[in-house]
Amino acid sequence: MNRKIKEPVSFLLPLIFFIAAFLLFPVLGTFWNSLWQDVPFMARRFVAFDNYVGLMKDGQFWQASFFTIAFACISVSLEMAFGMITALILNEKSRLRGALRGIALIPWAIPSVIGARIWQLIFRYDYGVANITLKAIGIGPVNWLGTSAGAFAALVLADVWRTTPFVAIILLAGLQTVPDDVLKQAQIDGANIFQRFHRITLPMIKPIIMVAILFRTIDAMRVFDLIYVITGGGPGGTTASLSVYGYKFFLTGDFGYGSAVSVILFIIALTTAIIYMEIGKLRSQ
Amino acid sequence: MNERKTKRLLRIAGMIFVIIFCLIPFLWMVIISLCERPDFLLHKSLRLTVQNFVDILSVGNLHFLDNLRNSLVISSCAALASTMIGALAAYAISRMPFRGKTSIVVTVLALSMFPQICIVGYLFKIMTRFELINTYNALILPYIAWSLPLALWIQMSYFSRIPIELDKAAQVDGASRIQILFKVILPIAAPGFLSTILLLFMFSFNEFLFALMLTTDHNARTVPVGISMFQGLHGELPWGYIMAASVISCIPVILVALIFQKRIIQGLTQGAVKH
Repeated sequence: MNRKIKEPVSFLLPLIFFIAAFLLFPVLGTFWNSLWQDVPFMARRFVAFDNYVGLMKDGQFWQASFFTIAFACISVSLEMAFGMITALILNEKSRLRGALRGIALIPWAIPSVIGARIWQLIFRYDYGVANITLKAIGIGPVNWLGTSAGAFAALVLADVWRTTPFVAIILLAGLQTVPDDVLKQAQIDGANIFQRFHRITLPMIKPIIMVAILFRTIDAMRVFDLIYVITGGGPGGTTASLSVYGYKFFLTGDFGYGSAVSVILFIIALTTAIIYMEIGKLRSQ
Repeated sequence: MNERKTKRLLRIAGMIFVIIFCLIPFLWMVIISLCERPDFLLHKSLRLTVQNFVDILSVGNLHFLDNLRNSLVISSCAALASTMIGALAAYAISRMPFRGKTSIVVTVLALSMFPQICIVGYLFKIMTRFELINTYNALILPYIAWSLPLALWIQMSYFSRIPIELDKAAQVDGASRIQILFKVILPIAAPGFLSTILLLFMFSFNEFLFALMLTTDHNARTVPVGISMFQGLHGELPWGYIMAASVISCIPVILVALIFQKRIIQGLTQGAVKH
């Protein structure tokens, strides 16, 4: 090997080793494992696609797939809307700007499990703040975590709270690339604040919005921490995402079936990303 | 005039919204941690206490301090190692001519989008095979890998802004590549290096699924797992303890987030803007 190839390889080797050993290899292992029956106290047995056939007949699995997609769609839409509002505010010049940015970082910076615990307490039926507030204005109480619709809403809200700052910060970077003089000129030409946003800001930051949507959608599809802590997938398995559903099988030692659930989540996420990027390409042509 | 008024009104409303939305749940955690009972709103009898904090820090079988120590050690090791490895790779990619650069970067970034659940099952098998379950290594090793895409991405953008003439000058003076990286590039990119370490620390400190699957007791359990596992008598959750533990665990991350706010935002957005 000549020096030209040796040098970059030696610099890249540690990265390649870690990624291959602890990301790529386990993912391939999961694919391989999904073709086996692998449960405690029984010999491992190659069953080809039996686990997937089992999934197709598994109502809970369909429920989890549907939940995962619905959760991702609804929470990402809300996060983009709230994130845009937050970014516009953070972009305004004011004395509070620094402090506001710091505050906006808090929900994102603290561990997701802690955020989940906070919302779990807020949505408690008997003395949660949500119900006490609703009661004070004459509504409710709502059985947030005990009904599937209530639990869904609670989970979406908790996710929106946690990830809106992230979206806002990405969008803020986009807003800062919009030149001030273009906006000023439009103002002089008589465009009002909404027109300026719609006609100038929005088209200019569109690429960044697209990136943020893709990142967030893929991330929302693999949601685990929030659901594990707040509802544990309940009531009756109606809020189990595919990650939570798959984890349950790993926990009981059923690695074949759990791996099959994981592979399906992988395929859903990958398909989403590919479709999304293809749409982006078509649009830009 | 009318426009300015609307704008001001919008801005104030927006600021209040941001503050309430982001801060209230967080403050609620602090309040509950300082209350004798979590249901004080119902009984309208607010009694403040620091007992929750005292208990969390002194009662041994709650294991909070063990969890905190595990978290700090594991996250620091993973962040340092990952930043170093990321720096080596980022240097090669931003400085050396070779084929397949783009495909390496794209692959690494695509890997960071993998659902963790696709990794953790098999990782458990690997760690069991090497008898690493419930050790620091069981978490440090995957955390290094899991945070490498971020480490690479951020540092690439920092390095690519340093003029390549500096490398050439050092090379003429007879410095080797590794010397150039450590004596020329890293000192200039020091702010970037530091913010990468901090971001990755937060990243590992907050991680939950790997830690849940790969640890079994207080010898390696991290803070998020500890907080998710608090159990009280009769199924009633000990909210005072949970929130006190949460408040203490939030301190390091929030300090990092607030002090290095600008750097974190830079680090997070540089990649996205370029994209």
